[in-house]
Amino acid sequence: MRYLWVALIGIGLLIPNVVDARPVSYPSGWTYMLMNDGMKNTAHVHYSPTAKVSVGYKFEYWRDMDFSLHAVQVNNLIKRWNQRDSQANFYFKSGVGVVNSSASSSDSGNELGGFFGMATDWEDRRYFVAYSNRYTHAGNSGEFFTQSARAGWAPYEGDYGDLHTWLMLQVDHTPEAQDNFTITPLVRLFKGLHLMEAGINNHGEILFNYVYRY
Amino acid sequence: MKKIILTLAFITAFVSLSAVAETSTRTGDALVTVNGLVCDFCARALEKVFSKEAAVKAIDVNLDTKIITINFNDGQSLSDDRVTELVLDSGYNVEGIERAE
Repeated sequence: MRYLWVALIGIGLLIPNVVDARPVSYPSGWTYMLMNDGMKNTAHVHYSPTAKVSVGYKFEYWRDMDFSLHAVQVNNLIKRWNQRDSQANFYFKSGVGVVNSSASSSDSGNELGGFFGMATDWEDRRYFVAYSNRYTHAGNSGEFFTQSARAGWAPYEGDYGDLHTWLMLQVDHTPEAQDNFTITPLVRLFKGLHLMEAGINNHGEILFNYVYRY
Repeated sequence: MKKIILTLAFITAFVSLSAVAETSTRTGDALVTVNGLVCDFCARALEKVFSKEAAVKAIDVNLDTKIITINFNDGQSLSDDRVTELVLDSGYNVEGIERAE
């Protein structure tokens, strides 16, 4: 089991994702996320004291822009719409911390950085749509805007505890990037405490996300 | 001074009786229809929140019917208000509560 964790963390830090799976957990819930796509690798650990807020540590490594960020991240569930057969959410997400890069004007390479953005989603047991965006300030490494949208379909409705499978399509838009649009078909597998996503985007880059929640 | 003691004794007795009433008068399983119950994550949230209650013996979540069944320990229960509060704390809404005798 230890080797599995090491392998998952290693893969997570090598490969990025803007659409977080549930940025706020249930009361007293812990969540570990490794999110990776064509641009960055992130690791995020958060604790939810209530079902409306989570506080945690976020690490990001943006490969092309060559900077890393260590931040304290706070996610707020602003509004949830619970319907008989569906659910929709609206979140604010923000983080502040230290950016480390060779572009920094300080001797240590460290400077203040942070981000803020929103996320919204809607799902029932068959369909899923989500959108999120973010403005990032990375010191001398730059300021930039990213946004991401995702649509998903479940080929079957599993019971509680079953393996749940989703087929999804994610579109990322980063105006400042060289390849500013990426399209990523992916598969989401969700069972018990584990959620895993894997896909390849239109530039041949791998997406791999893993979430453990308890 | 005697009045204060009597008043405190009355309040204490009232609060105790209310607590007893909440944990002993409605002993049937609670069948709770919940809105927003669309995934395992939602089910797990409810399980986790309700399992912290001493009166709760077990909880079963049915994603098809959107009904959670709460089994209570012998002689114990939770009031409808408390059940509603816990579902809200979990992040969901109650549409209705029925009791099975």
